Amino acid sequence: MVAPEPDGRAMFKILKGVVGDGVGPRVGTLSLPKRRPIDTPNFIGVTARGAIPHLTPDNVGKRSELGGVYIALEDFMETTRKKTSPPLLEMNSEDIGPLHSFTATPSHMFTVLGARRHPAINSPIGNAKDSISIFTSTGFQKLTNEAYRQCVSKARPDVVIPLADMTYSQTTTFTETKRRTNVTSSKRQLRMVERTEDWLAEFFEPSEDGSEKALPSVFAPLLPVSYATQWEYFNQLEQDFSTKLSGLAVYDVDVLPDLSNHGPLVSLPRLSLDYTATPQEVLRQVQLGVDICTVSFLNGISDAGIALSFTFPPPSNSSAGIRPLGINMWSPEHEVAVKPLVEGCKCYACTKHHRAFLHHLLNAKEMLGWTLLQVHNYQVLSDFFAGIRASLSADPPAFEKGCDDFTKVYDSELPTGTGTRPRARGYHFKSRGGDDKINRPAWEKYGTESDPALAGEMAGLAVTGPAAEGKETPLVPDADAAELDRQGFAEISK
Amino acid sequence: MVSLLTLANITEEGVRFLSPHDGTPMLLTPEHSISLQNTIGSDIIMQLDDVLVTTSPDHKRMREAMERSVRWLDRCIAAHKNPDTQNLFCIIQGGLDTEMRKECCKEMVARDTPGIAIGGLSGGEAKDDFCRVVKTCTELLPELKPRYVMGIGYPEDLVVSVALGADMFDCVWPTRTARFGSAITKHGVIKIKSSEYANDFGPIEEGCGCACCTKGEGGLGITRAFVHHNVAKETIAAHLLTIHNVWYQLNLMKEARDAIIADEYPAFLHQFFANIYSDKADYPKWAVEALRGVGVDLLSDSNI
Ligand SMILES: [Zn+2]
Ligand SMILES: [Zn+2]
Repeated sequence: MVAPEPDGRAMFKILKGVVGDGVGPRVGTLSLPKRRPIDTPNFIGVTARGAIPHLTPDNVGKRSELGGVYIALEDFMETTRKKTSPPLLEMNSEDIGPLHSFTATPSHMFTVLGARRHPAINSPIGNAKDSISIFTSTGFQKLTNEAYRQCVSKARPDVVIPLADMTYSQTTTFTETKRRTNVTSSKRQLRMVERTEDWLAEFFEPSEDGSEKALPSVFAPLLPVSYATQWEYFNQLEQDFSTKLSGLAVYDVDVLPDLSNHGPLVSLPRLSLDYTATPQEVLRQVQLGVDICTVSFLNGISDAGIALSFTFPPPSNSSAGIRPLGINMWSPEHEVAVKPLVEGCKCYACTKHHRAFLHHLLNAKEMLGWTLLQVHNYQVLSDFFAGIRASLSADPPAFEKGCDDFTKVYDSELPTGTGTRPRARGYHFKSRGGDDKINRPAWEKYGTESDPALAGEMAGLAVTGPAAEGKETPLVPDADAAELDRQGFAEISK
Repeated sequence: MVSLLTLANITEEGVRFLSPHDGTPMLLTPEHSISLQNTIGSDIIMQLDDVLVTTSPDHKRMREAMERSVRWLDRCIAAHKNPDTQNLFCIIQGGLDTEMRKECCKEMVARDTPGIAIGGLSGGEAKDDFCRVVKTCTELLPELKPRYVMGIGYPEDLVVSVALGADMFDCVWPTRTARFGSAITKHGVIKIKSSEYANDFGPIEEGCGCACCTKGEGGLGITRAFVHHNVAKETIAAHLLTIHNVWYQLNLMKEARDAIIADEYPAFLHQFFANIYSDKADYPKWAVEALRGVGVDLLSDSNI
């Protein structure tokens, strides 16, 4: 494999660094080949199975300002007895590239491919010398470094994060933070670093068939262990690979200050795959010099029925007391609230709809509710980052003061939603045996006990006639094909 | 259809049911239902009717429901505050009893509502009974008023009902079947959930003009493989199939309109069924019979 063109320095322009040694908040532009440049600091979307949850690709393109998405290869790797090769890798798409084409990602957006979801589920099997354990909807599988490299060259993402030997936490609760620092054994930590070093070196070796395929832009992983444990790896990155790297994928932002010891790495764009449970943590990441965030609480907060309500810089009239970071749209107080989710928000949900409708959609378990929340929450984050960039560019910079004010004005935690969530599929949570599913099974036998959804539908029937044939379907049937057959939905018999 | 009586108790006054919100008993009268719809402001509003499942064997109760629906129509008309801006549709009842349906048509047509609905169908009755009821009603309805068959959505039901003289329909089926992972195509319904579509990189339906199936400007170029990848896992699969299925249904009706205007509706029907069934022997008998009744012989080779 050959070195990527153009390299990180050509793709990433630092317009303004705040601190002299280049470590700290900065303003820049990331321009990936063929994609629309994005201003940094910024964030990219985190996909589930190749999609921003609840948003069709046309809405991602039209209703969000996203410039890129993170996609996990493990979301595409399930094999069954019938299907041994992942469809993503079978797809021939010369012009657009299979990953873009398969996921219908809008063409102006770049894709970042990593092996694991973000956040990821820990494997009970653990990683091995030449492979990591990935989690697919059909179970855990082994992914070797060589297989990963081949997948990357077939899928053709814009940016790839080479394999890192990582241990993840057991839960994916979005409010939890700092989940990666649970590797306490120093022996294990050292092995993480050694393996990741080896795998990166292999990643850049010529492929076995001798062909020289162009690699996507490579963002090398920085591990969630102390600088002391991985400084040799940093040295190797600096000396052997800095010209081949286009960026850094940072799994723990606390190592960023130590980058000042590795000059050639300083100018590379930094993508954070560290966890964030609050916007305050996002601000902290930017303070430490992150250029591109993955806001790991964002999809979860929409699923929980929360409309984010913070801005940067925060509002100045702090006489209102501590402000909440979001609004629980399940709350009955919105039942007749004919006003936008957030006054002044320019998103589609706030300009076309109002709180009462959103509250109603959640209660009715209509998928549109979560779609509108996603549109709004992504807009809030886009505006938040625009505010961060403006404050960094201001003369004199207003970013630090903004961060101070933000912690004073806003609550320290996001509200928790009170209602049921959509698509709480078992496979996202399967890591511990015997866990209850997050939501009640959607398919329950209709018995004598009263079912509010059904009663509502029947009340509707009394007015409008028989518009339906029975119980309304759940958002996504939690049943296999055979069960769906037994449920008997209409089909032209052949 | 689930029996209404398990949840609602109907008297001359109105429908009593338990509030879906907190379970408190509520009474919906014809006057209240119209007042609600006046407030909502929809272009078409529906009368409150006493609806029984058509397969109910209780003839006496069926007659009571039909006659009550007529009386309630009078109360709805009297209560309607916006007759200039909102169109009140009556709903013909009478189960599968042709004579009762005729009687109901006569009574309701005399009340001269701007549109007429045929109600109580799609409740599990046999398809030839369904067609017989639709035809009985449409033959008695005035030409220049829209005829709305309620709760109808399978493509073959739509095209046959149009042949029998119906104009408009509503149904949850196209979007519901999307949520189950099924796509409507002119060759029948396909279950994208089935493993055969895992590696199918074609559009949901070849030649479809919906946003999912088209490529390039405004089109998403969604493949069956991608929908399969997300069916029952991410809501996006339901969204994508909903876009496709609704487009399919609207386009089917557009093609039906074009065929009627071109005076080619029988040919349209021939093609529609030929697309789904490769062998005429497989054509549903109820559709063949119903269409024969209006002068279209699906089994003949000629299109006219
Ligand atoms: Zn908004
Ligand atoms: Zn389509």
